[in-house]
Amino acid sequence: MAIVGVGQTSYKRAHTELSSADMIWTAAELALEDAGMGVDAVDVIVMGVAPDALAGENGVEKTAIFGAGKPYVRVNTGGVTGSSAAFAGASYVGSGRAKVALVISLERMGQATTSQQVFNTIFDPVYEKDFPLTTITMAALRASLLMRVYGYSERDWALIAARNYRNALRNPLAHIHKDLSADDILASPMLAWPIHRFEACPMSEGACALVIAAQSAVGDRTGAWVQGIASTSDSYAMGDRFHRPEGTLVDLLSLRRSAERAYADAGITDARTDLDVVELYSPFSSAEAMTYPALGFCEPQHGPRFIQEQLTDASLPVFNPSGGPQAANPVSATAMVRIAESALQVRGMAGEHQVPEARRAVATGQGGATQFSTVCILGAERPE
Amino acid sequence: MSEPIELITIPGNWNFDYTYFAGHAASRFFAALKDSRQIMGAQCPACHRILVPARSFCDACFKRTGDWRPVGPEGTLETFTIITAAFPGLPEPPIVMAYATMDGADTALVNVLHGLDLTDLAAAAARLQLQPRIRAQFIDKPQGRITDFSFVLA
Amino acid sequence: MPIYVEGVALEVSFADARRNLSELIFDAVRAAVDDSGRDMGEIDSVVLAAHDLVDGRSLSSMVTAPAAGAYLRDETRYSDDGAAAFAAAMTRLEAGDNTRSIVAAWGRCSEHDPDAFSRALFDPFMTRPLGLDEFVLSGMRAQIYLAGDGVREARSRATSRRREAARRNPRALKSGGFTSTPHYPLEETDMPLWADITVAMVLSTEPAAVRVAGMGQSSEPYLFGDRELRSIRSLEWAADRALADAGLGGDLVDLAEVDGLTLIDEALGLEAVGFATRGGGMAALADDPRANPSGGGASGYSRPAMGLMRIAEAVLQLRGSAGPVQVDGARTALASGSSTVAGQTQTAIVLAAA
Repeated sequence: MAIVGVGQTSYKRAHTELSSADMIWTAAELALEDAGMGVDAVDVIVMGVAPDALAGENGVEKTAIFGAGKPYVRVNTGGVTGSSAAFAGASYVGSGRAKVALVISLERMGQATTSQQVFNTIFDPVYEKDFPLTTITMAALRASLLMRVYGYSERDWALIAARNYRNALRNPLAHIHKDLSADDILASPMLAWPIHRFEACPMSEGACALVIAAQSAVGDRTGAWVQGIASTSDSYAMGDRFHRPEGTLVDLLSLRRSAERAYADAGITDARTDLDVVELYSPFSSAEAMTYPALGFCEPQHGPRFIQEQLTDASLPVFNPSGGPQAANPVSATAMVRIAESALQVRGMAGEHQVPEARRAVATGQGGATQFSTVCILGAERPE
Repeated sequence: MSEPIELITIPGNWNFDYTYFAGHAASRFFAALKDSRQIMGAQCPACHRILVPARSFCDACFKRTGDWRPVGPEGTLETFTIITAAFPGLPEPPIVMAYATMDGADTALVNVLHGLDLTDLAAAAARLQLQPRIRAQFIDKPQGRITDFSFVLA
Repeated sequence: MPIYVEGVALEVSFADARRNLSELIFDAVRAAVDDSGRDMGEIDSVVLAAHDLVDGRSLSSMVTAPAAGAYLRDETRYSDDGAAAFAAAMTRLEAGDNTRSIVAAWGRCSEHDPDAFSRALFDPFMTRPLGLDEFVLSGMRAQIYLAGDGVREARSRATSRRREAARRNPRALKSGGFTSTPHYPLEETDMPLWADITVAMVLSTEPAAVRVAGMGQSSEPYLFGDRELRSIRSLEWAADRALADAGLGGDLVDLAEVDGLTLIDEALGLEAVGFATRGGGMAALADDPRANPSGGGASGYSRPAMGLMRIAEAVLQLRGSAGPVQVDGARTALASGSSTVAGQTQTAIVLAAA
C-alpha cells in the first residue's frame, strides 16, 4: 500500500478563523485533492484526536463527520495518536476491508488557556498528582540521566534544537520560523534543569490528513510506499524502567523494538546508509538523543559524537527537514505530520525543504512519557 | 455584504469532578506510610522484582504480585531535575524532583528532594549527577499520602 | 480469513473501593486470557476502547494499557465504542499485522459524572449553550416513537421483561448503580443503569467455539437536525454491511444484542438491524426472548464499553453458557455498539457458533 495524498493546514498558535470541523475538512480536502480522488473513493475514515481537554470539546471529531455513511472511528493515544490513526487506516487496507483509507488528525489546543494543566492530568492521580510532574519535568529527568550516563552536555541539546529551527525556515507550514543559534537557545530561560525554553516545543494547532491506498488502487499516482510499520507500548511508570534487563529509561526500549520490526519488514540493515530522511517525534531536543541508538544510528555512548557528525557528514540522512516538533507540535497530529513529511520527501513533493533524491524515510512517533513508540518506513520504490 | 464578519470566540470552562478509587493495594501502601513510616514494595512471583510503590499486579509478567516487604529507608538517586519555571497550580520553584531506588527495591520512586542548596544551579546539578545516597524523610504527622515523605541527602 | 473469539470476560460492579481502575481492568483481561487457555507470550496485540473523560485523566491509556496487557506489545486505544475496537482488532488480524489480540473496554460510572460527560459532547457554539445532553436527543426520538401504534403499551411490558432479564442474568449489576434524571417523555425505567463495566476478549485466527462471521460500520451526520429522528440510519447501514459480510442473505440471526442508551434507543436499534419490523421494536423487546436477552441497559451501562459488552453477551449465548438468560439453540447472533454523540457512528458484528 502507499500514501498517495497528503494534506496539512499550517501550524500556528491558533487558527482563529477556523472551527474544529473546518480544520479537519481543510486537511481532508487537501489530501484528497493531492490524491486525485473524491470522498466517494474512501472506504473508511480514521480520526486521530488526543486529549479532549485540550480542545475543550468532548468528541470534537464527531462535529466533522462527513462522507455519508462511511465507517468513522477515533483513535486517541496521546502523542502517538497521529501514527496510531495512520496505522489503523493501514490495517483496514491491509485486511482488504478498505481499498482507500482517509486518516485525519486534529490538534485544537489553541482553544485551551491552561494546556500545561491538562498535560499534568496524564499522571497517576493516586501517586503523582501532588508533585510538579509535567511533560517538561519528565523529559528533564531523562535528559539529566542521559548526561550522566552518556556524557551529553547542555550544548548538545542546544545544537539539536538549532538545527531543527534552521530547517523549519524552509517549511512554510511550520509554526516557528526563527533562526536561533545554540547560544540563543542556551540563553533562553531554564524551565527544568537541564531543559531551556527554546528546547521545548511550541503549542501548535493544525490538522493533517493522509490518503492510504491499496496497491491495486494506486494507479499511476506517485506513492510513498509503506515498507514497514510497528508500534510498541511500554510500562507506564518511569521508575519501573531503570533497572530492568530489557532496557533502561533512556534506552527507549519501545522505539528500539518498533524499529527492529519495521526495519526487518523494510529490509533495512544499516540506518545510516539505507535511509535518506529521518522525521523524529521528539518533543524536546534532548529526547532526540534517545532515538539515535534505538534507531540504529550509533551506539548509545557515541551519541554526543553523532550529534557532531550530523553537522559534518553529508552522507548521513537528513534529520527533521521539516523542522520537526521543535518548530510545530500539534500534539494529536505531530506523529502523522512526521509520516506526511516523510511521504512528501520520498514522493519528491517537499518543495523548499526537499532533500535531494530522497528514496527512503523513517518517521517516528512518541507518546506518554516515552511510553509509546511507533516507526513507519516509507519508500519511493513501487513493489513488484 | 461589504463589512467583514466579526470572528466570534466563546469563553468556556472545562471542569469535571472525579472520585478516584485508590484500591486496597494503594490504600495499604498509604497505611504503611502513615502507621509505620514504611515504604512498601511487592514482589512479582514470576520475575521476582520488588515493585515500588507496592501494587497488586506486575504489568510486565501480567501476574498478581505476592509478598509485600518494606524497602529503604535509604536509597540511591538515579536521576533528577531542578524545576525553575513556575507552573500554575504547582508549588513555587526552585524544586528538585528525583527518582531514587530505595535499598531492596527493583524499581525507582519519584519524590521531591529537600535540603539542597539551590543558589548555584550548576553546582547543585553537578552534586546530584554523582548519584548520591538519599534517605526518605517523613513529615511529623504522616497522612497516608505520597507526600508523607520526601528525599534528603543521606 | 476467519477470526475467532477464544476468550471472554465481563464484569459489572459498582464503587468497589478495593480496586482501582487499573486493577478492575487487570482482573477482566486476566480472566479473558485465562478463559482463552493461551498465555501472554502468544499475544502480540492489545486494542482498547476507553475515554479520557470517563477515566478522569488525559491520555488515560498511559496507566490503563499496561493493566490490559500492553507491556511491549502493539497496543492502541480508541476513544470510541468497544465494538469499534473489536472491529479494529479484526482488521489487524486479517491484515496479518498481528496474530492474537486482546480487546478490552471499560467505563467506571462510580468515578465520573456521566451527565457532565454527556453535556460536554455538544459543540460549544450551537448546542452546548442550550444545555443539551444525550438524553435530550433520546427524549426527542422517544417523543416521535411513542406516538406509534401500540408502542406505549408494549413499553410497559418491555420494561417488565427487561427488569426480569437483568434479575436473572448473573452478569448484571446486583446492587448499587444509579440512573440519571429522565427528560420527558422518558421515564426512569427507560434509563440506563450507570455502573462500572470492564469487558475483555481474546481474538485470533485459530478456530474456537465462536467465529466472527461479519463486521460492518457506518456513520451519520453530527447535527441531530440533519438526521432522521425516527430511525437509526447509521445502524441500518452498519448491520446491512455486517450481514452481507457474513453472507447470511435475508436470514435472520437467532438473537440480537443491540446497544442503545435508553429503552427506546434499543427498540429503534432492533428495527435498524432488521430484528424487528418498523414500529415493532418495542414489541420485540416486550415479547421476544431473543431480543436483548441480557437485559440490555438495565443490566448495567457505561460509555464506551457497551458495544463490547453486547458482543460478550452474544459470545456467551453462542457458547451455550449464558446461564438463566440463555436462548436455546442459538447459532448466530448480531451485536452492535453505538458511539457518542447519540449514536452517530455504529459498529455491527455478526457471530456464529463455529
